[in-house]
Amino acid sequence: MIDIEVQYFAVLRERAGASREQVQTGATTAAELYDQLAARHDFGLPRAMLRVAVNEEFTEWSRPLAAGDRVVFIPPVAGG
Amino acid sequence: MDALGFSSGPLEPERYRDALADPSAGGYASFEGWVRDHNEGRTVQRLEYEAFEALAIKEGERIVAEAVARFGVTRAACVHRVGELGIGELAVWVGVSAVHRGEAFAACRYIIDEVKHRLPIWKKEHYTDGDSGWVNCERCAAAGEAHSLAPVHDYSRQTALPEVGAAGQAKLAAASVLVVGAGGLGVPVLQYLAAAGIGRIGIVDGDVVEASNLHRQPLYGVADLGRPKVEVAAERLRALNHDVRIEPHAMHATAENIDALVAHHDLVIECTDNFRAKFLVSDAVVRAMKPAVFASVHQYEGQVQVYRPLPHWPCLRCLWPEAPRDGMVGNCAEAGVLGPVPATLGALQAMQALKRLLGLDAGEPPSLVMVDLLSLETRRLAAQRHPACDHENPGAAAAPQVVPLELEYTTLAAALESGLELVDIRETWERAHDPPGLQIPTHLPLSALVNGYLEFPAEGRYLVICAHGVRSLSLTEHLRAHGQAEVYSLRGGLAALRS
Repeated sequence: MIDIEVQYFAVLRERAGASREQVQTGATTAAELYDQLAARHDFGLPRAMLRVAVNEEFTEWSRPLAAGDRVVFIPPVAGG
Repeated sequence: MDALGFSSGPLEPERYRDALADPSAGGYASFEGWVRDHNEGRTVQRLEYEAFEALAIKEGERIVAEAVARFGVTRAACVHRVGELGIGELAVWVGVSAVHRGEAFAACRYIIDEVKHRLPIWKKEHYTDGDSGWVNCERCAAAGEAHSLAPVHDYSRQTALPEVGAAGQAKLAAASVLVVGAGGLGVPVLQYLAAAGIGRIGIVDGDVVEASNLHRQPLYGVADLGRPKVEVAAERLRALNHDVRIEPHAMHATAENIDALVAHHDLVIECTDNFRAKFLVSDAVVRAMKPAVFASVHQYEGQVQVYRPLPHWPCLRCLWPEAPRDGMVGNCAEAGVLGPVPATLGALQAMQALKRLLGLDAGEPPSLVMVDLLSLETRRLAAQRHPACDHENPGAAAAPQVVPLELEYTTLAAALESGLELVDIRETWERAHDPPGLQIPTHLPLSALVNGYLEFPAEGRYLVICAHGVRSLSLTEHLRAHGQAEVYSLRGGLAALRS
């Protein structure tokens, strides 16, 4: 298990009820982490529609996670 | 009296003056233009004025309304003479009554300057040598500017910046910017770009001002409800800065018009509230190799992204390869928003645009900047080109379908006769105020469809309807992509039927 800092935006923040949380996870990739959290918070948005950034950089879903990583899930936003 | 009138007989300033009297007015200022006996070194005997009256009256009324709104004066009017005039005769009269003299003089000056610039009036001069010639008044005004007062707009507070200076100001004056969307993001973008002295600004928006816009689009007021946004915006921005040429385009950006619009500008700022338009603009700027600034907001948050036509810079599709569908994530109408959120993001877009035009963004890597107005945190996420995103042929994967997605009807009865079943996908609260004759029995709210509480029927032929045709089009696209062939969207939504 590793500690990860997760930050949410827009719809995900609403569903999670918080803009950030510290999670302990056995997930080894960003994709696994999202799937775990999506189940917990009932995100209802397919991963294909989102982007993930780790440590302030957009990255692939297959990226392995390391303890202390800062992960941000970003849904597209259209309002204006 | 009329705000702008023409008279073929002698003008009567005394009578016009009385018509401007008001108990609340503390003063009156007036300007009279007289026929003089010389012009550009030639002796003038008499004059003829000819006006394209229908057009001139409309534009003249607009000028007077602008002056009243801009300077807050009590009343204002202008009368122009047409026909034959002798030396010393009154050619034009402007009068303004106001609470204080300052506004009265300023509004009077504004009206006569604008009348000379903008009204289609021609002057024929008859010279003592028997010769004569037509002079367009726009040219009179241009010639007169040399000895007019100092320019109204003063950019010294921005040219004082060492990175801007006179050279930077000249770059801005030579620049042209296309702003797509004149809503919550577009309003601050337009105001700051016009104020900064951008030479030419094109505005694209097909909407009219609605009451629900005003809380976050304070360029518009209650008196503007129902008027095309671009028309009101153009009026306000022209009044804000005479140096800027404003080009309003009262239409939505479409696949048919976007390339031509983009081609005529140096930089594009995308300020709409839907993914369709955002991707349309992204593809167009990639094709045209023009820089662009994108932004979006959701409740208390926003995102800003700059596109530059450089090899390693990502476009919108690089970031979002799966083009999201409208309605999947909320827009301002559905999700709610506080005015300063789009205002902040719009101001950021204006700043990014000025930096690009002034060349102040050299050190800025490609990125998506996220702003959270609740926590006041900003976050820059470095972004790269997506290897699969084809910038030679942008949006190819999302090529338009052969079967039209949208159908056009002018009345509900005509839509009913189409043989398609009508499906209202608006939210329940949106239907509450519908007149009884406009109730569509089949109601599948989009939120329920998106959340999976309801299923769109797999069999049958349907016409999907929402308020303005944006959500219905997204749903139609989505259903088509999932194999449902006979689903169409009502173009323009219910708004199109009513009008």
